[in-house]
Amino acid sequence: MNCPNCGTSNLDNASICVNCGRPLSGTGAVPPPPPPPQQSSYAPSQASYTPPTPGSAFGTQPPAQQIPNYLWQSIVVTLCCCLPFGIVAIIFAAQVNDKLRRGDVGGAMHASKQAKMWCLIALGCGLLVAVIYGLIGGAAFMQGIREGMANR
Amino acid sequence: MKAWRIGSLIAVAAAGAWILYMFPPGAGSFYPRCTFHALTGFLCPGCGTTHALHALVHGHVLAAFKYNPFLFAVMFGSVYASPSLLRGETPPLFMKPWFGWTSFAVVMGWWIGRNLFLT
Repeated sequence: MNCPNCGTSNLDNASICVNCGRPLSGTGAVPPPPPPPQQSSYAPSQASYTPPTPGSAFGTQPPAQQIPNYLWQSIVVTLCCCLPFGIVAIIFAAQVNDKLRRGDVGGAMHASKQAKMWCLIALGCGLLVAVIYGLIGGAAFMQGIREGMANR
Repeated sequence: MKAWRIGSLIAVAAAGAWILYMFPPGAGSFYPRCTFHALTGFLCPGCGTTHALHALVHGHVLAAFKYNPFLFAVMFGSVYASPSLLRGETPPLFMKPWFGWTSFAVVMGWWIGRNLFLT
């Protein structure tokens, strides 16, 4: 079937569009955003409470945007030299795209969480290695300054 | 919000470029080494990135390309992706079903290929 929003051709059993992420219901209707909260009567008495901005962060966002695939993050952490973990993250990121294509939203969410976890593991290892090298390099740098001052 | 993101991005990039310009990588430098290379002796997909960036900020594009051609693919990708990422969105290309496994194949191919043919 074709997406009612952008016209991209999708598999028949897909629940959301692979291109724009809009839901592919039978009627092709996009769910309307929730109505803005009524705040005229009680707003003056609760001046310190800020209600969430209606429509901007919730409701109007298409489902695919809520399932990030962490692909670019995976590639970046792979480049930053924590190799096995970055590759694992790329594999899960690719699975997110695959499962969204097949309409498997639950599986895509699971793969997304895995991709995020492996990205964070790779980033943590990379930062740890960078800090260790930074400490070693910094110590050598300070040693050089000390020796330079002693020789003067 | 957007101006704040762009501003911090430019500040970090400028600081990184200045450090890379002033301090050359190599023996005795403070830059982190590749763990994979230190453990196995093989090159990882990102090996040579620091040398390549150092060459690049000095204007030696060809030398940078020789250090790590894959970095150029990532840089073109970053230029394409940054407007979307600054808006807090995933770039449309990255959500294409074929793009995930293509990236995986390119990274693996580059990683194995550079160790087999380019050493």
